[in-house]
Amino acid sequence: MNLLAVDFPPVNQLFDWPSIWFEGSLFAVNKTVLIYLSSVVVTMVLFVLAGRQNETLVPRGVAHVAESGVNFIEESVVMQTMGPDGKKFMPFLTSMFFFILFANITEVIPFIQFPANSRMATPITLALLVWVIYNVVGVRSQGFFGYLKNSLFPPGVPKFLYLIVTPIELVSTFVVRPFSLAVRLWANMVAGHLLLVTFAVLSATMWAAGGLGFGGALFLSFPMLILMTGFEILVSVLQAFIFTILTAVYIAGSMHAEH
Amino acid sequence: MTATMKRLARTFSLVGVVVLFAATPVGAVGETIGTCMFEKIENADLAALKGPANKDALLSFEADLEKCFEAPNPILPEWDEVIWGGAAFAILFAFMWWKGFPAVSRAMQARSDRIAADLGAAEQAKNQANAVLADHQEQLGGAKAQAAQIIEEARAQADLVAADITARANEEVAQMRAKAAADLEAARMQAVSDLRGTVADIAVGAAERVIKSNLDADTQRALVDAYIDEVASTNA
Repeated sequence: MNLLAVDFPPVNQLFDWPSIWFEGSLFAVNKTVLIYLSSVVVTMVLFVLAGRQNETLVPRGVAHVAESGVNFIEESVVMQTMGPDGKKFMPFLTSMFFFILFANITEVIPFIQFPANSRMATPITLALLVWVIYNVVGVRSQGFFGYLKNSLFPPGVPKFLYLIVTPIELVSTFVVRPFSLAVRLWANMVAGHLLLVTFAVLSATMWAAGGLGFGGALFLSFPMLILMTGFEILVSVLQAFIFTILTAVYIAGSMHAEH
Repeated sequence: MTATMKRLARTFSLVGVVVLFAATPVGAVGETIGTCMFEKIENADLAALKGPANKDALLSFEADLEKCFEAPNPILPEWDEVIWGGAAFAILFAFMWWKGFPAVSRAMQARSDRIAADLGAAEQAKNQANAVLADHQEQLGGAKAQAAQIIEEARAQADLVAADITARANEEVAQMRAKAAADLEAARMQAVSDLRGTVADIAVGAAERVIKSNLDADTQRALVDAYIDEVASTNA
């Protein structure tokens, strides 16, 4: 794709990675899959190393990262949305947070530079899993009809408003939620990756052009690339947090009818 | 530059280097259109596509090549990625539920318990220290009272001793005075006695001289005065 003399790669080439092993099968492994697996390994290593630091009074190194993460999920997610009842979901929410975070942050890691969550596979898988969990929790907590009644006819709403509210709640709770959850994460990571690639390609092209282009690359596009890289680190963490806290909010809403 | 500024400078430098390093290369480009077409052409039997008889095969091959230009729908998930992603998360969740999360929770709980125990021990030590301090203060108060009592007793004793010394001194002074008065009286009596004898001697002597020489009155007076002076000078 040639835009204003900048040879920008076709967008599908930025996200569609060729298979490395088992090409053509349902178990084909590409860069995206390797990032998923590395997220699992990194999180496991982090928690194994952190779990060994029983004796130290002050957590050090990776233990500090893991414990800060666990504290953060407990204080800022679980206690804020579910209360003490939600502590049983801590392993699930912590796994989700770190898995999404490490699959996002790869977009700024040199030589990887691709957020695995800019592919729809994991966001939609996790979102559907969340959908199943909060519905099962709702049915177990309130009973099938109780959950359905409280979801479609929220308590405290004037009866005549049910004409509007009930269809909205039906679509929102049972149809839209998993997709909005997945698309929010996916779209943010796609946008971030496109921004980084745009400024990187622009910098490289202007740099190669020399003269005025060299100055433009040095003072405009490359500083922007650095700025956007820092911004994308923030977005990676923020999106992991948003996905996790929305999961907690949905589960909390199913646990307690008053939500 | 203060130590805090140096630390901040080092931190920002490190972050800058990391961000620069992270921003530099661009490697996120997957399969290209060219690669796709090259692979299809390489795998095709080009000889079988020549000639009007193979028009359908050629059209089919063209359609196949055009697929290289088709971008996959980015919002539709690939099944292989769904399977791997789902499996990866399932493995991670199973590990976290079984081992990872409980281990970190235990470590945090152990640390929390240890800090609580340390705080409890510190509180206990503080209470003990306060008790010891109170005890010492009580002892110090007792010692001070005892010291004051001792001082008071010493002062009273000193007063008694001083009074005794004064009384004895006064007594001694009185005795010395009495003795001195007695000595003085004795000396006076002795002097009077001596004077009486001397005056008698003078009178006798004067009478003798008056009797021995018949002198006029002035001469006699002068003679008596001279004699008295003589006597006075000899008794001085």
